[in-house]
Amino acid sequence: MELNTTSQVVSFARDLEELGARFYESLTRRHSGDAEVWRHLASENRKNVTQVERAYYGVISDALEGCFSFAIDPDKYAIEAEPAGGASYHETVKRAVEMEEKIVRFYLEAAEQSKSLMADVPHAFTLVAKKRNSRIPKLMALLGKEG
Amino acid sequence: MALLEEPIKEVMQLKNFIAGEWVESKGELQDVVNPATCQPLARVPMSTRDEVNAAVQAAREAFPDWRRTTPLARVRCLFRLKELLEEHFEELSRVQTQEHGKTIDESRGETRRGAEMVEVATGIPSLMMGYNLEDIASGIDEYVIYQPLGVFCHIAPFNFPFMVPLWFSPFAVATGNTFVVKPSPRDPISQVKLAELIDESGFPPGVYNLVQGGAEAALALLEHPDVKGATFVGTTGIGKDVYRKCGETGKRAIVQASAKNFLLVMPDASVQGTMPALMTSFFGNTGQRCLSGANLVIVGDDDAFYRKFLDAFVNTASRIRVGYGLDESIQMGPMQSLDGKKRVLGYIEKGIAEGARLVLDGRKPAVIGGYPDDHFLNPTVFVDVMPDMAIATEEIFGPVACVLRVKNLDEAIEMVNSSNFGNASSIFTSSGKAAREFQYRVETGNVGINLGIVAPMAFFPFSGMKDSFFGTLHGQGRDAVRFFTESKVVVQRWL
Repeated sequence: MELNTTSQVVSFARDLEELGARFYESLTRRHSGDAEVWRHLASENRKNVTQVERAYYGVISDALEGCFSFAIDPDKYAIEAEPAGGASYHETVKRAVEMEEKIVRFYLEAAEQSKSLMADVPHAFTLVAKKRNSRIPKLMALLGKEG
Repeated sequence: MALLEEPIKEVMQLKNFIAGEWVESKGELQDVVNPATCQPLARVPMSTRDEVNAAVQAAREAFPDWRRTTPLARVRCLFRLKELLEEHFEELSRVQTQEHGKTIDESRGETRRGAEMVEVATGIPSLMMGYNLEDIASGIDEYVIYQPLGVFCHIAPFNFPFMVPLWFSPFAVATGNTFVVKPSPRDPISQVKLAELIDESGFPPGVYNLVQGGAEAALALLEHPDVKGATFVGTTGIGKDVYRKCGETGKRAIVQASAKNFLLVMPDASVQGTMPALMTSFFGNTGQRCLSGANLVIVGDDDAFYRKFLDAFVNTASRIRVGYGLDESIQMGPMQSLDGKKRVLGYIEKGIAEGARLVLDGRKPAVIGGYPDDHFLNPTVFVDVMPDMAIATEEIFGPVACVLRVKNLDEAIEMVNSSNFGNASSIFTSSGKAAREFQYRVETGNVGINLGIVAPMAFFPFSGMKDSFFGTLHGQGRDAVRFFTESKVVVQRWL
């Protein structure tokens, strides 16, 4: 079902971040050599939730188009919280990169579609997309390494 | 989609809040019902005249000490209230969805705007400053002091049960007055929650009071000689009575009343770009707001543009998801009351009888989630509407859009200005010249340019003209500060 309301989009962002955090938390056990990296990513996910929610709750107005701004297909951004069983370190990191790219695309689409809302909302989505984008080269750098 | 958790789980017995105490009323009880589920939420008393008098007396007794409390100390209570509003933000919002039926996004928007009033009123130490001029004559200075007057009251509407009383009360108490609010008996619960937080914020007993009730309680407030001013939001018919009554009893008044708002679409407007704003305007809050779009006026003789715009409008409206607002996917909730729905159905019948063409019929609602359809309507659109039809001139207060067509901007502005009402109007255009002309000539208090809902922020007045407003000063912002204070002028010479 398409996401149309701001409340839906913010809840979806929260779920994505939580699933992403659980994915990284599971890596702290599977690939404990980089446990600090995974923990940091998981904790950053939760900060992203705070950032988006703070923007939404801080400026939501009944006067703007909160119920009618979005037309986002959530299936395009579906992710899983658990890495595939028996996946190698290389495969797992590759999956993390794919997940990050997908989430960046979600935030950029949400930012684009929320331009008619108070500026803080698209701004928060853009900032989170930017932060997540900066993770990708760091994860890519891990690809050459054995866990 | 799963429902957000309902904060009201058991039927509440509502009380009055007088002199810092929650007191039971002896008045008859009425049911408060969740319009989406038809489940009872509370029993609200119709307070007696004696109970209203007790609330006014408590406010009058609290006034001398409160006005002597320094502005800084007064706003510290508001700062605490603001913190509590943030802590309880989600609960307050969900209560509004339960009692009124609006979507959760709309309720959160309402809570935020209410909280913003409190934020702005915390600026009273600056906002309430007077002014002065020395040497108006040799050795003589003159200055103005803004002083509070005493007890003010607010008679609240059902359509924004939480926010509208906050257009007034924070400014009233911050300026040193005391206050009595009477919520709408249809959805009084969020005001009870607000009063609980006000109590917790440290306001002295009697500064803020709440009496439940209906017309009798309202009349008792308006007739009370100790009430110095009244604020009211509701229909023009009752608003005129309120204004008259205030005149007879020497009260200040802010009376915000009915509306019939026109939204003009110029041929250079973006078709898809305007749709979210139009949907929000016509169907947001289920059309139950004084800033809702009512008449959609498509300007110009370009038939292709007219058809394209109309198709997009009707198609988008037909896809609106209608249901219980605690489902986050819902875009439009039920009508708050059965009477309100009946009135809207009556207007739809009238529109058909008048010869308008019904291109989207919301009378047999499709309700997501399988809720009883008692209170629900779907979006409704009439085309070929003539300016003199009742559906084009009278307030329907529901999710009904009337589409009219005019040749040019002049004709459109004349149409807007011929209305008895003057609450709000909007123009959608990419032409600055057209927008400026519209803003300059249109006779409405609130004007939107490429916006569907012209809701002024807390630091601007909520304006209105003609049969949409009675009074001089408006609610919110500096107007509210002036309304709740008297200008005392001092001319001083020391010999």
